[in-house]
Amino acid sequence: MTESILLLPLLLIVLGLPVVFLLRRMGLTNPKAGWLLSTFPLAAFFILLYAYTLLPHGKPLFFRLPWIPSLGLNFSLYLDGLAALFGLIITGIGALVVLYTGYYFDDAHPTRPTSGETHKSSLEVRFFAYILLFMLAMLGVVLAGDFITMFIFWEGTSISSFLLIGYKYKDEAARKGAFKSLFITGGGGIALLAGCLFVIHLTGSADWNTVIAGRELLTNSPLYPAFFTLIVFGAFTKSAQFPAHIWLPEAMSAPTPASAFLHSATMVKAGIYLLARLNPALGGTDLWFWVLSGFGLITMLAGAYLGSKQNDLKPLLAYSTVSQLGVLVALIAQQSEIAFKALVISILAHALYKSALFMAAGIIDHETGTRDLRQLGGLRKQMPILFAITSIAALSMAGLPPLFGFLAKETLLASATHPGLPPIIDSLFPLTTVLAGALILFQAAILVWGVFLAPPADPKHPPHGHDPRPGFWLPPAIPALLSLLIGITPIEPAFLANFLADSAKAAYGAKVKVSLALWTGINVPLLLSIVAVSLGAALFWQRNRLRAALMTFLPDLTVNRLYDWTLRGLDWLAKTATHLQGGQVRVYLRVIAISAVSLYLLLGGFPPLSLLPSPQWNLHGLNGLRAFSLVIMAVAALSTIFLRRDLFSVLALGVVGLSVAVWMALEPAPDVALVQVVVDILTTVILILGLNAIPRKQRDRANELLHSRRGMTRDWFVAGIFGLAVALTTFTALELRPRESLVSPYYAENAKPMTGAKDIVGAIVVDFRGSDTLIEIMVFGMAGVAIYTLFHFGARKPGEASTQETLQTLPARMPRGIYALPTSPLLHTLAYVMLPLAFLLGATHMMYGHDQPGDGFTAGVIISLAIAMWYIVFGYQETRRKLTWLNRNNLVATGLTLALLNALLGVALGEGFFAPVNYGDRLSLPLPPGFSLSSAFLFEVAICLTVMGAATLMIDNLGRIREDENA
Amino acid sequence: MTSYWLLPPLLLPLAGVPLTLALRKYPRSQQIAALLVMFAALLSTLTLLRQVLRHTALTLQLGAWPFPFGISLTADLPGTFMLTMSHLVLMAGFLYAAGSTEKVTRYPTFYTLFFALAAGLSGAFLTGDLFNLFVFAEIIVISGAALTANADEPAGVEAAYKYFYISTLAAMFFLLGVGALYAAYGTLNLADLARQIASTPLSPLALAGLAFLAVTFFIKSAAVPFHFWQPDFHAAAPTAISAMLSSLVVKVGVYGFLRLTTLLFPTVSLLKTLLVLVGIAGVVYGGFGAAGTHNAKRMLAYSTLAQIGFILVGLGWGTPFSIAAALVFAFNHALIKAAMLMLAGAMASRAAVKSASFSVVVGVGKYHPFAGILFLLGGMALAGIPPLNGFVSKFLIFWSGLDSANYLSLAVLGLASILTVTYVIRAFMRIWFETNPEAKPKAGDSLLAPALLIALSLVLGIWADPLIVLAQTSAQWLNDPQNYIRWVIGSG
Repeated sequence: MTESILLLPLLLIVLGLPVVFLLRRMGLTNPKAGWLLSTFPLAAFFILLYAYTLLPHGKPLFFRLPWIPSLGLNFSLYLDGLAALFGLIITGIGALVVLYTGYYFDDAHPTRPTSGETHKSSLEVRFFAYILLFMLAMLGVVLAGDFITMFIFWEGTSISSFLLIGYKYKDEAARKGAFKSLFITGGGGIALLAGCLFVIHLTGSADWNTVIAGRELLTNSPLYPAFFTLIVFGAFTKSAQFPAHIWLPEAMSAPTPASAFLHSATMVKAGIYLLARLNPALGGTDLWFWVLSGFGLITMLAGAYLGSKQNDLKPLLAYSTVSQLGVLVALIAQQSEIAFKALVISILAHALYKSALFMAAGIIDHETGTRDLRQLGGLRKQMPILFAITSIAALSMAGLPPLFGFLAKETLLASATHPGLPPIIDSLFPLTTVLAGALILFQAAILVWGVFLAPPADPKHPPHGHDPRPGFWLPPAIPALLSLLIGITPIEPAFLANFLADSAKAAYGAKVKVSLALWTGINVPLLLSIVAVSLGAALFWQRNRLRAALMTFLPDLTVNRLYDWTLRGLDWLAKTATHLQGGQVRVYLRVIAISAVSLYLLLGGFPPLSLLPSPQWNLHGLNGLRAFSLVIMAVAALSTIFLRRDLFSVLALGVVGLSVAVWMALEPAPDVALVQVVVDILTTVILILGLNAIPRKQRDRANELLHSRRGMTRDWFVAGIFGLAVALTTFTALELRPRESLVSPYYAENAKPMTGAKDIVGAIVVDFRGSDTLIEIMVFGMAGVAIYTLFHFGARKPGEASTQETLQTLPARMPRGIYALPTSPLLHTLAYVMLPLAFLLGATHMMYGHDQPGDGFTAGVIISLAIAMWYIVFGYQETRRKLTWLNRNNLVATGLTLALLNALLGVALGEGFFAPVNYGDRLSLPLPPGFSLSSAFLFEVAICLTVMGAATLMIDNLGRIREDENA
Repeated sequence: MTSYWLLPPLLLPLAGVPLTLALRKYPRSQQIAALLVMFAALLSTLTLLRQVLRHTALTLQLGAWPFPFGISLTADLPGTFMLTMSHLVLMAGFLYAAGSTEKVTRYPTFYTLFFALAAGLSGAFLTGDLFNLFVFAEIIVISGAALTANADEPAGVEAAYKYFYISTLAAMFFLLGVGALYAAYGTLNLADLARQIASTPLSPLALAGLAFLAVTFFIKSAAVPFHFWQPDFHAAAPTAISAMLSSLVVKVGVYGFLRLTTLLFPTVSLLKTLLVLVGIAGVVYGGFGAAGTHNAKRMLAYSTLAQIGFILVGLGWGTPFSIAAALVFAFNHALIKAAMLMLAGAMASRAAVKSASFSVVVGVGKYHPFAGILFLLGGMALAGIPPLNGFVSKFLIFWSGLDSANYLSLAVLGLASILTVTYVIRAFMRIWFETNPEAKPKAGDSLLAPALLIALSLVLGIWADPLIVLAQTSAQWLNDPQNYIRWVIGSG
């Protein structure tokens, strides 16, 4: 179980997170919290070191937990030399950075950082939490044992880096920088995920061992260019390769501890780690070599060049990081032993000196209040300790002996002059390296010179500052000192050399020999190094002229414009997309109509033309009445379009419905005809009431628009293409459908014996397909409730009185009809008589509906229409006063409850849900002939109640508005 | 009698309709009753899921009529999967409504209409009958429109009108489709239809029916270019409801396609191609729309267009793997989108003027860091960033696309994914990072429901296997329509 030790470092960092919040409760100061929290990564560092010593010879540790077994995916951890190198850098520098953070945010100190916001005296919980979160993600990336685990942590670094860069979120630059980094690295992440999936798809497994073993398969796959591009794109965006590097300088708006950690030592190296990790699996191809060399060299040069133009310490360091990342990518491209030796040495050396420099820059900022070279200078005497630290680190960055950086540069030059290099690269590589080396040396020099040695740039306002407390300078001092110690130690540290050799082996795929001796004799690399140093010194000598020239004449080479254009392009497309959504239903309708009909034609096609010649015009059933109703129907339908007043259109629509009813009655389908008649009348009444609820002006305007030339054309078009689709379907249906449906004969045969219904329509509605009916009456009920809610609550203006209040305040008055028109006593009598008659009719419908035309629905509508008549004759208030028993909502509730209970009763009686049960027979009740007390009857009652409730809700609420206006 | 397990998930929401209507004068008891009934419905759904996993599909012939003459309720795994998703999110919706400050949630009929919506959703995923599906779709439309028309948002009525208008159009298409299939095969039962369609060569009438149904489901699932009602509608709806509409109601259309492509018309490859094309249109248009709008809720509504696009593409690829991926995507999206809309609504309720417009909610997050964490997590889930469930959805879709060698459509999906990151992070930064002097500390809608949903998203992101197994098993069931037919027939 030694593998499970790999979980420990991650768990330790996770453990640190709740501790952060605990510390706030305890009211600890930032520096103390820093000391305390840094023990977590420190412990992780030692555990990793210990775990590394446990590695059996040449064999990595591999820990796995099944994560998604159904897809064969694991959560796995993996430790070999390469992972250990990165893991130790992350936890080691991480511990220092956490300690440093505590002092960076220390308020007890007299001077405050001015570039940031003023800090509250409370603990910077957020920052500590983010940095630990980031550390967890980063450690996960390098310790992951497979693509998916790695990717999960990879995205974690993007998100936590977003949070860290945007830490000072009130600052717009911080927000922009945070978004930019997430946009670019997030985009890379998506590419990387796709690339990973390609590899998993090909090798059948995500873990490193299998992937590396699948090298032949992968490099020979025709898909190689695709997933190579995707993965490399992901790595390049993360590791800030030109032209994706643009996010890195802007990420410098993060607080300095974050920059020191993320943007120099760790996160930007995630891409490097990935490429190094995959080199044995994907490397060695021409594509790999040329793409990595090309981008690496360009980035190396671009970073070095751009860094030389900076005045702000942090961007200067950021660009030199970009340059260094280019170096690393170019090294991975080479397939030589020396290149991988250079790779591991450079990674370590860079992590040491760059983190020291960043932290030192943070201290300078913290103490003097500025990081601008144009305001600094002469700090050597005020800050001797910091001067020493910065000088050592800068010398290492410049690649001067006796520092570790010198060794890194020597090996780099050695691999740049490796005899195995192909033409073009064999001259470009050394040339670029020398040039970039000179520029980097120049940067290191102006950094030290500008801050410490030169007289203050602005003599009137010389910077003030002094060395901070030891806890603050210790974090940069340690890596700086290490850079020095590794360089000058007389005895080669064998452990380190072997360790680096082991790391390089993992990336190279074969054994690599690493020695840490600085002096290797006079050879080409040394000569080139001397050239680079002399060139750098010359540049430094001419620094003022050079920098002036750089700033004025040479381009910024930033591809920020590309990024801006991309974003602007996206925004433009986004605007366009939202503009397509103009808000007019008539436009929507047209688009949907065209799409729907073309989809219809595409999928269904025109009916086969062979059907056309043989329509059998069956005219013998066309008698006078049918022909008459047909003509009425057509005329009325056309009138709905041509009549200019909406009220008349509605009436014409009613006529259409009635003539359909005539057809039904003649078919003969008296049941359907009856329902059609009552529904048609109810619809017309509701529509007319609804029209009255719309202000006159709006109705006139709508009429005008509808009957304009454009409106008519539009409507003809929409109606025409829909009509076409419907006509085609009807035609096909008439020609092709089987004459007998499957279920109809069954219904006809079984309606009477099984449901007790003589006609099959009733049986289908109430019995065979009763649950459709249940839901449909619920739809109707909800429509009523919806209208009620809208008029009582939703559409009520603020301050408007509720119905109840209005009713109470109005004086009793003589019955007046709708619109407050006087109505005749004859009508009153009629209304009085109609209501009980309607109830009677409704009751018979329900009782005998199963045998005769008519059902609960008809009953409900008939009663509602009688009530509607009261509204017309007596007026709104009067009807409400008179019909106090009419509680509309309760009717709906009762009806629905009854329907559900009735259906459930079948279950209780063992007949099944919604099954027909004849209670009359069961209880042997004496019932009048022709009436049976069955579940069907109860259901009819339920339907009647619901419909009554809903219909009167609509009538009541729609009828109200207009009257209030008139009152 | 195990098949009776089918009933409670449907009957409880149905019963909630008259129950809450009867309790309309007692707001407190109405609210408690509503929460209890919905919770019971959720529990019964989980029990049903267990039963289905234990016994294969359950079928209940309503009225005990022999197959295919009555209506069958059928709970196979895919349907139960969708049902579970619905009831989880509905429960959250009820919770959110209970803690909401919106006036509409205090209207006496709010829960009645909400239960009608819940009943419609439950029925749609449980029914085995095409016409029955139609009536359930109707109740979803009427209740959704009613709730939105009553929204505090003044635009609610207009949005509801548009939705109702276009949904009526969809209903007409639905009826035409049902009619055409009934004319051709004389039956409405899905299993019976599937059996008959498979046994004879496709007639032009069947294809016409398919076309009408496809149009219907495109409108219902808000697929581009049938989506026009959606951004207005989902943005204007009361927050608790808009969370349901954008996460669940559109899935009814998706579910329709699930049945069309696997059960009824598995041989029509043109339909699958169409799904891929329409899905991609949605992914692109929805992504850009979301990036271009100025309102947080509207942004999330547009984002639904894109996410539905992902699901349709998965269905269109049509391999068991891609269907499983689409199912996982649908499930996860429901949780995420509901949570995000709730968070957007909750922030709007805390703004100086109640509005989700970015110009109003900008900087409101200052006093609500917890909501910020939730929103960021939800946003990561939406953008498919681990360790949230959205990542699992995204990588399954990607992987299944690779597996079926659909590189071109995959490339578009990949490119469009960056849009999600863009708009989600921009919204986050506007609400939580930017400063606004007008933002004052203010109490608003409770964050309990979105917090629960995000927690579930996190759990499903880390412990992803069960959901994937469910989806894979569902996809296997879908892949074998004969099985479905046998179950339904066997029970009749």
